[in-house]
Amino acid sequence: MTAVASSNRASRARIFLRHETILAAMLVVALFGLGLFNDRFLTIDNLLNQGRLMTEIGLIALPMTFVIVTGGIDVSVGAIVGLCAIVLGYSWKNLGFPLPLAIVFTLVVGAAAGLANGLVITRIKVPPIITTIATLTLFRGLAEGISQAHSVRGYPDWFYFLGQGDVFGVPTQLLVLFLAIIVFGVALDRTTFGRTLYAIGSNETAARFSALPVERVKLAAYTLSGLMASLSALVLVSRVTTTRSDMGMGYELDAIAAVVLGGTSIFGGSGTIWGTVIGAVMIQLLKNGLALTGVKGDATIMVIGVVLIASVLIASSLQRRRV
Amino acid sequence: MSATQDAPTPLIEVRAIEKTFPGVRALSAVSFDVRAGEAHALIGENGAGKSTLIKIMSGVFGPDSGSILVEGRETRLATPDDARRAGIATIYQELLLFPELSVAENIFLGHAPRARGGWIDWRTMRAKAQELLASLDIDDLAADETVGALSVGNRQRVEILRALSHDARVVIMDEPTAALTEADVTRLFDIVRRLKARGVAIIYISHRLDETFAIADRVTVLRDGAYVGTRLTRETNSGELVQMMVGRRIDNMFPKTEAPIGEPVLETRDLVRRPLTKSISVTVRAGEIVGLAGLVGSGRSELAQTLFGVWPAESGEIRLMGEAVTIRSPADARARGIAYVPEDRGSQGLVRPMSVLHNLSLAALTSLSHSGFIDRGAELRLAEQAVGRFGVKTRSLDELAGRLSGGNQQKIVLGKWLANQPKLLILDEPTRGIDVGAKAEIHRFMGELARAGVAILMISSELPEVLGMSDRVLVMREGRVVAEFDRAAATSQAVGAAMMGDLGATEQAA
Amino acid sequence: MSTIALSGASSARAPFWRRLSSQEMLLAVAIVGLALVVGLVNPRFLSANNLADILLGNAYIAVAAIGMSMVIITGNIDISVGALIGVLATVSGSLAVAGAPIAVTWLAPLVFGMLVMGLQGAIVAYVGIPAIVVTLGMLSILRGGLISVTGGKWITDLPDAFHLADIEIFGFIPMPVAIMVVATILAAVWMRWWPLGRAIYATGGNPEAARLSGVSPRRTLVLVFVLHGFFAGVAALLFATQLRVIQSTTPSGLEFTIITASVVGGVSILGGVGTVVGSTLAAILIAEITSALVFINISPFWTHALQGALILATVIADIERRRRRLAGAIR
Repeated sequence: MTAVASSNRASRARIFLRHETILAAMLVVALFGLGLFNDRFLTIDNLLNQGRLMTEIGLIALPMTFVIVTGGIDVSVGAIVGLCAIVLGYSWKNLGFPLPLAIVFTLVVGAAAGLANGLVITRIKVPPIITTIATLTLFRGLAEGISQAHSVRGYPDWFYFLGQGDVFGVPTQLLVLFLAIIVFGVALDRTTFGRTLYAIGSNETAARFSALPVERVKLAAYTLSGLMASLSALVLVSRVTTTRSDMGMGYELDAIAAVVLGGTSIFGGSGTIWGTVIGAVMIQLLKNGLALTGVKGDATIMVIGVVLIASVLIASSLQRRRV
Repeated sequence: MSATQDAPTPLIEVRAIEKTFPGVRALSAVSFDVRAGEAHALIGENGAGKSTLIKIMSGVFGPDSGSILVEGRETRLATPDDARRAGIATIYQELLLFPELSVAENIFLGHAPRARGGWIDWRTMRAKAQELLASLDIDDLAADETVGALSVGNRQRVEILRALSHDARVVIMDEPTAALTEADVTRLFDIVRRLKARGVAIIYISHRLDETFAIADRVTVLRDGAYVGTRLTRETNSGELVQMMVGRRIDNMFPKTEAPIGEPVLETRDLVRRPLTKSISVTVRAGEIVGLAGLVGSGRSELAQTLFGVWPAESGEIRLMGEAVTIRSPADARARGIAYVPEDRGSQGLVRPMSVLHNLSLAALTSLSHSGFIDRGAELRLAEQAVGRFGVKTRSLDELAGRLSGGNQQKIVLGKWLANQPKLLILDEPTRGIDVGAKAEIHRFMGELARAGVAILMISSELPEVLGMSDRVLVMREGRVVAEFDRAAATSQAVGAAMMGDLGATEQAA
Repeated sequence: MSTIALSGASSARAPFWRRLSSQEMLLAVAIVGLALVVGLVNPRFLSANNLADILLGNAYIAVAAIGMSMVIITGNIDISVGALIGVLATVSGSLAVAGAPIAVTWLAPLVFGMLVMGLQGAIVAYVGIPAIVVTLGMLSILRGGLISVTGGKWITDLPDAFHLADIEIFGFIPMPVAIMVVATILAAVWMRWWPLGRAIYATGGNPEAARLSGVSPRRTLVLVFVLHGFFAGVAALLFATQLRVIQSTTPSGLEFTIITASVVGGVSILGGVGTVVGSTLAAILIAEITSALVFINISPFWTHALQGALILATVIADIERRRRRLAGAIR
């Protein structure tokens, strides 16, 4: 029995590998393809710099994986980034908070925003799409209202370490992202929390009947989503040295695209953090590669839209064939 | 059968219908007919094949072999539309209405009267709806009301009117009284009589015998997908019908072994959770198997889910091992040593897209983890143990649970809960829809568990199972325990009568 | 028989008004009430000029909300419409500048809108991908495509004849208002008195039952998206022709303003309920609120926050109302 089981485990691991191998292979092809087009692309400097740029989306895509694995979605994350950026600037400049306190306050606000989403979704049972569309408007509106279109600049130098500094040559925020990837990856793969996320996405009723804390885990997923969005906002403000209310606009799209591209089913129940990471890397390289080959920034948004729809279409047609 | 002699051509007749689903023979050699102006009851236990038969007659799916004759002509009913054209209308248990549309619109959806140019002719539609309402003397329902605001009884009337608007000559009613109040049942019977008088044929699915006698002219019994017999209601009695439904399988199938019965594990006093748990007081002892019989909708699963914390009790007392406890969630219940194998395996018991391994560990994650991290070695050992102990047939632990047969799925659900070593095991329809071999195995496990001192509360709609397995039998009706029998006194007649609401039996027991 | 016909006739108008009387009457009262209150604080709010500005500047939102309402009634959502309106306006304007016949410049956005939305509807209906994902992807395709094609440049030097919004019917009814009113009435009538229109409600209310009643939920869904594309085209025309230039971007969050109008207008996000009369009234109310903020000295930067709060409150109220009714029906 054991022997049979373990050999089958191996074979399934291979299938799993195959899914991620395909992604990784595509990544390699894309890397070299883009490298051929442009000799500035495949340089350590460029790649590290791309890591810097990708962190803000990556930090959001990690909890987005959790949310989508439960069968939900969170389109308000971009707006939370904007709100948190404003909260940071406003509490520091206008309320006179010391910057460290303002940072903590920003993280609290982000978590609270996510918690609010989670409460509306789990307590009042408003569908996640609708809830987060509504709060998207609300959070972005709060950012606009609080900031009154004023931007905040002139943060102390130490603050820029997060977004512009490096540790032994590696961008600071990339290290933060690495750490987050490990934490989120282990949480999804190895903990009861992660297992509960999968169970909820596959069959919420059965999860409840298995005595799993369904509501609490969903609440935690949306709260994490808000918290990581606020962390992303800190990194972003630190990198671009200014605070504006339209920050993070459209981040939800990149994050969702990364998750879906990474093999997480939009219907919930399956997906991995590693897939999301590859998805996020691919999107960033795609953007960068296109930019280097002379495609303007706005056209890359278009490409991401195509990638998102195409990957969902392909995933759903593959799934159909398997059944 | 004397009933079929010198009779006019039936409106609809099925001959030698066979239907097999993957792994299950749903119907074999079933023949059945209904004539104009007749109400023909179709009865049998859950899983007897009633629903499959009516779905074949209403074109939801086709039979593997056999023929369907409409007014003597062989007819193919490949789609619900074919059935509708043949004059057959079906009123399902879950009413297929549009809550936001008006009564008239619901009646005429899909065939609304048109004015010139294709516009919906609201005036004619309303008039016709009023006409239909008037024809059945329904005066508390207006054509303009929104269906969502109606009572269940009135919604059902709308469905019946919809059938009539199609000029249906055969109306199939699938357990129409399951959710109705007494007054609504009376009105339904009145409507059925009017329809009969108009020459409409009624096929009436039920498992309430009293209704069958009240409304049907003939009654056909199915058991395990096979045709058992047809009787004229005036020439039969409930004893004969129960015997036909139950058969004679009681003695040879259920290996309940004697187990020493110990102290009470579960005691409840006046447990209330509206609407379907009304003041329940039960006791289950260590080593004892208590069977909970009752019709669908009598409140058995609701009681189980109240004990398990899915719908926490509103008042009353639960004692476990003599200690008063409060159970607010399934997690509370689990912590107290309660396990619940739910009724609906596919939607409540199993996470089908998850592996066998992960399903088996799902309810035991807390004990398998250290500060939140799952001990994968322990998880694997637990799953291997369970697979070995219950003889789960699976290619590997990584096989998706949904791909296994029903019996193996049920073993997984059982195994998942036994991993917690519960003191009280609540089994809700533990052997529904699984093959005979797996059924016997599950019964054997139940016996073993009882001997190991587990208290077992078993809900089952299969009377033979209840009678064969239980040390004691409780009968529920309308949210209350109405009768209690010990093993010796629990006969199919007595328990069946108590389930159906035969007062004599209830008094006897009390 | 005659009495039946009579009773049928007497109640013929009742349900329509009764249904209107709930959300729609509330909105109408709110519109008038708000105007009076703000007018008291600042009489200039009630000037003919300002009232006309509110209607003229926002008629396109009401028109787009008609299609959005249909989409939401089927239980779906579309967040690409804001970007689509921008693209369609640019297409139309570019054609006009290039010297295409005016009829072509007016027809092109309608046709193109129907194509894009029809495609999305087909993916949602036949591939089974959630509308949120499809339209999210389309949103970025359209927005990215627009900016990279126009390079952010505004379209100017539009021919005078192009300006549909300048036309006044009978010399005094401005075209945008006329179109808003006529489109709302036509759509409302169609959705109520035409079998296909009713199919939208059936699809959203109970797709399984709709299928068993002979309505194809998939075809209905595609049709609804095509119609939504048509109204987006009309909205784009009004947007493109209201100023002398066409900006390469639409107001930020336009899609959410449109969704807000639908939901506040009484369209249930759970599908099956709502009217376009409500969504048009709600669009007017939202425009009025935005304008009112200025007149009572509140920064217009709070508009979106207010909108978000409004939509959240409406949605929560809708869900609570349904739950209560469901509980009532069971009891």
